[in-house]
Amino acid sequence: MIEEYLMNLPLKFVNNTIEDYAMQVTYNPREGTGTVVYNMSIVRNEDLEYSISVFKDAYRAGICVSGLVRFFKSGEKLSGYCVPDGHTAIITMCSSTLDGILLRKGVPLNPIGGGVVEIERRIPRRFTHIIMYEYTTIDPLQVLISQEITSITDVMRKGSGNILANIRQCHMEAETLIGEVMDDLAGSSFSGILDVGLPNTPALGVKVDPQYMGIVAVGGTNPMAAIKEGGIHVTTQAIKGLMDVKTMTEILDY
Amino acid sequence: MGAKRLSELMAERGFVLSDRAVQYYLRYLDDMGFTEKVGNMGRILTDYGISETESALVGDRIGFIISKLERLAFRSTFSPGTMTGDVAYNLSIVPKDRIDEVREIYDRVIAARCGFFSSYRILDSDPRVPSGHTGIMTICSITMDGIFQRKGIPVRMAFGGRLSLKNNEPERFTDLIGYRGTTIDPLQLFISAGLTSLSDVVTSGSGIALANVREVPASAEEKVKETIDQMQGCGFVFPVMMGTKVFNLAYNPYRLSIVSFSGMNFIAITVEKGIPIKTEIGAGNVPFSKIMSVN
Repeated sequence: MIEEYLMNLPLKFVNNTIEDYAMQVTYNPREGTGTVVYNMSIVRNEDLEYSISVFKDAYRAGICVSGLVRFFKSGEKLSGYCVPDGHTAIITMCSSTLDGILLRKGVPLNPIGGGVVEIERRIPRRFTHIIMYEYTTIDPLQVLISQEITSITDVMRKGSGNILANIRQCHMEAETLIGEVMDDLAGSSFSGILDVGLPNTPALGVKVDPQYMGIVAVGGTNPMAAIKEGGIHVTTQAIKGLMDVKTMTEILDY
Repeated sequence: MGAKRLSELMAERGFVLSDRAVQYYLRYLDDMGFTEKVGNMGRILTDYGISETESALVGDRIGFIISKLERLAFRSTFSPGTMTGDVAYNLSIVPKDRIDEVREIYDRVIAARCGFFSSYRILDSDPRVPSGHTGIMTICSITMDGIFQRKGIPVRMAFGGRLSLKNNEPERFTDLIGYRGTTIDPLQLFISAGLTSLSDVVTSGSGIALANVREVPASAEEKVKETIDQMQGCGFVFPVMMGTKVFNLAYNPYRLSIVSFSGMNFIAITVEKGIPIKTEIGAGNVPFSKIMSVN
């Protein structure tokens, strides 16, 4: 009966999922404590070493939300999921952690969408594609990861190309609070801010509501997309769950 | 294309600029490398210019995929009563040496009743098909929108989705993407993200197929049913389901959701099999009789 009820529940659109998880984020960027939202990616064990090296390069190139990572071996469980034989789960920070941090600070906020941002000589130029959260039940960056329109490896090597990113809008009344959050993040493990727009002005080409300002963050799935561009099979589930940041370690230590 | 003609065409589309202004902007586009002059014939878009049209003004491109297809719907003059008139089609291009494989899987999709229409047409000589390749025309489901509109039924394409089937029975949607909230075709996103399993659907009857959700006023139900009956008689395969509460879509008492399998299922299965395929969705309109029978 319960199963049937759940089966017939209307599908959940991503804006709901993001807010549900963002409300549970307790991460304090100054202290480096609390919970963050994570993405989970699965790679074959033989590809793990290569994946780690790509992740490191991506982190050094500044296109990761965070360098924090955690690995789960085959057979290990996390929130009801068991890692399959011969595979490793890579846990990385999801950029909706930012929405959580802003919410906790009391900033009025709406997640807008995820898409592709063109980078030219290390400077973000504009969104070239976007999928609005209110219109999708699957994370945009999870479907865009496999499109030929990303060229994350090019950004890492040459500084120009297309990466994954997402955007939310905040009320301009909270600009001071947003500034404080940005200062807090500057010295933290969260390193994913790409652009903070002016009030009433499109951020990297994406329109915002009147009196709102856009904040663009790099997508948490960028390192995984880069691994995929290298021809490695990787499956990613974005906005998968919550994790204590203390259980995660820096990728550069591997 | 010359500046004067361009200025007229733009005015037709609601962008009013003088010839002079158009000329000024064209020179600017030349400088940027987006256009180039061809003698005194006017200008053409460069490859760089074409790629720019696919990247610029992201906000204006949200929902554009469907507005573009609606043009083809409007031009679909097909009348299911007389089985005459034009339908909208998709054009796929595959390597010539793999056409037998492609035909076999297309036929399997049709046999499993997962296509939108029960036939397709092979094109050998068409200027759009490069040498060493074969073109395949399939009916684009936007034809349905055209037919409804001609009967006075307002119709709105809402979602592209992944529909899960178990033992040949459609069960529920696993994902939806709304056409009005994206710059990339939802079904193409699912295909290239590897989120379909048409091969399983055609072999075991269980798997993930692609489907569209359209919405019409609930009060149009009778008229819709009548039209669908006629269309089924012509070889169209739909709906999968119809109603104000279908599968796990949100309930709306005023809107009838029409769920139909997409013609993109042909493309999805070809991609799953690792056969290179390039598809132009909504490539044009063609008389119905040209697609009617498998040739």
